[in-house]
Amino acid sequence: MAWRSLRKTSLFDVLLIIGLTALALFMLLPIIFIFNHAFKPLNELFLFPPTFFVQHPTTHSFEQLFLKSGGDVVPFTRYLFNSILVTSVTLLLVIVFSSMAAYVIAKKSFPFKSLTMALILVSLMFAPETVQIPRYLIISGIGMSNTYFGHILPYLASPVAVFLLIGFISQIPNELIEAIKLDGASEAGIFRRLILPLSAPAIATISIFTFQGVWSDIETSSLYMQDETMRTLAFYVNSLLSGLHNSVAGQNIAAAAGLLIFMPNLIVFLLFQKKVLATMVHSGVK
Amino acid sequence: MGSITFKHVYKQYKGEASPSVNDFNLSVDDGEFLVLVGPSGCGKSTTLRMLAGLEDITQGEIYIDDKFINYTSPKNRDIAMVFQNYALYPNLSVYENMALGLKLRKTAKHDIELRVTRAARILEMAHLLEKKPNQLSGGQKQRVALGRAIVREPKVFLMDEPLSNLDAKLRAQTRAELIKLHSTIRTTTVYVTHDQVEAMTMGTRIVVMKDGIIQQVASPHELYNAPVNLFVAGFIGSPQMNLVKGSITRQDGVNYFVNKRLKLPIPIEHAVYLKNNDFRQRQVVLGIRPEQMTVVTGENRGNEQWTVNAVVELMELMGADTFVYVSLGDNQLIVRMEAHTEVRVGDNVQVQFNMNKSHFFDQNTGGSLRVQGDAGA
Repeated sequence: MAWRSLRKTSLFDVLLIIGLTALALFMLLPIIFIFNHAFKPLNELFLFPPTFFVQHPTTHSFEQLFLKSGGDVVPFTRYLFNSILVTSVTLLLVIVFSSMAAYVIAKKSFPFKSLTMALILVSLMFAPETVQIPRYLIISGIGMSNTYFGHILPYLASPVAVFLLIGFISQIPNELIEAIKLDGASEAGIFRRLILPLSAPAIATISIFTFQGVWSDIETSSLYMQDETMRTLAFYVNSLLSGLHNSVAGQNIAAAAGLLIFMPNLIVFLLFQKKVLATMVHSGVK
Repeated sequence: MGSITFKHVYKQYKGEASPSVNDFNLSVDDGEFLVLVGPSGCGKSTTLRMLAGLEDITQGEIYIDDKFINYTSPKNRDIAMVFQNYALYPNLSVYENMALGLKLRKTAKHDIELRVTRAARILEMAHLLEKKPNQLSGGQKQRVALGRAIVREPKVFLMDEPLSNLDAKLRAQTRAELIKLHSTIRTTTVYVTHDQVEAMTMGTRIVVMKDGIIQQVASPHELYNAPVNLFVAGFIGSPQMNLVKGSITRQDGVNYFVNKRLKLPIPIEHAVYLKNNDFRQRQVVLGIRPEQMTVVTGENRGNEQWTVNAVVELMELMGADTFVYVSLGDNQLIVRMEAHTEVRVGDNVQVQFNMNKSHFFDQNTGGSLRVQGDAGA
């Protein structure tokens, strides 16, 4: 069977497959590199010509990373804790708020509905930099500097998430909502038992990009947090790297920190990837 | 128990000139199988949705068992509805689909299990309980949708064209099963369809609607044999009733139906109501069903006065019957005959009208000239 279908593929298909595989492997290189790099001993890091794969793996770089921060006023684990807390709370709230907003906009009629939609669309068009100053004024004005709210609030209203979910939820047939209404569900019941589970693929997509956005964000830490204990891991790693410049001594620390900040992104993506594919299939069929 | 009463119910959508449902008055008895039938846009689904609580009622009152329900939320009306596209929850298994309504009503778990398995047994789908809706065929989905309604044991079933997504064979089969099901559980059912065959075969009573207005409420038998107006006459029955324009004249004590091509004497029993309606002032429409007409062959002459000349234009063999389309001047009429007729396309034939089974309608108002309640003939 496999042979037959292979024989049926044209030369163009074969070339395409080879080309795309090569491209995919090429895109994979930095990821392989970052894994190898983090485990290289110091002498391997500076080999010339540089090696791609690690020969004598060691966790020395990670020890250095933790030791270095151990001497600082704020320990590494504090940044880690901040990041985990901020990212998970933001992610959860973004999912809840975006899906609720999208459900109402997609399935309910209310005054100024199209205006609301238009405003969401317009807010998609702003480059993040343009709102930095007003955002700063608002955050500091209501006294949220140096609190976790300062990290979380700027991310809560996510027009991209709402927009994606509106498209998804509006595809849910109205009859389903009517059926569950007749079955005795309240508005909250409709949302929890029908809308949320049916938009799982879209929520997975949102989770990935929200997670990546918040996890690697340094803006909130550098603008709204003057207190070092309130800053996040991404900020710490970033300042670590920029503090190194081209100094030889810190290269291994940088390599280890780079892997650490990258790992959660990879894990979250792998977790939700199957659902995301379902989103694409879904949007293709319907 | 589950009787329903509509009192002067209106539905007016914003921005539309005329109401979608116009002065709807009806009482449905407990245990009845009532069918709302009409062409699309006649307001039948809107009526059903108002009863379900999915549409607001613009004006009028609806009662279930003498309880005023205009402002009762759908979940508190004790009704269950079957939708055209089944509306099964795709994320739940068949069992969970059926159980959800009970679960939301805080039914005890063992009771839910009992009711779901019983319904699954009635509908012969016990083996499907673990499957997800996307693993089911159309007919199976339809069963699950029915099962979901049955387990709730509601006062009233509402069905919105539940068979129209099925193929012809499955539709006929499911139709028979629905009739059987209703005779077993005897729950009041309101059934919406645009298919007059479904209406005729399923309904204990049928409501024919057009443009939001009830045309006639009657049993299938009465609807077929005594349509109150031209619309009902044309809508019910397949192939549809032949309608011929003309007038009635009186000659030597006998009433005749006359137009350019025809002069047919009208039997004496029809004469009474025609006289009561003062036919002489009006242009009328003669209605006669295809099975009440025959193509006259050699020996079988019948009543020669009711026989006219016509040309065969088209023949449709339906299996048991043949529909013979004959032209009579401006009119094309359908005659229903046995399959093995010797008539051929292009033949000049003699067509006989059974005037004992004729209907007369007012050409201007479309109303039947028969006196209301006089369902005989």
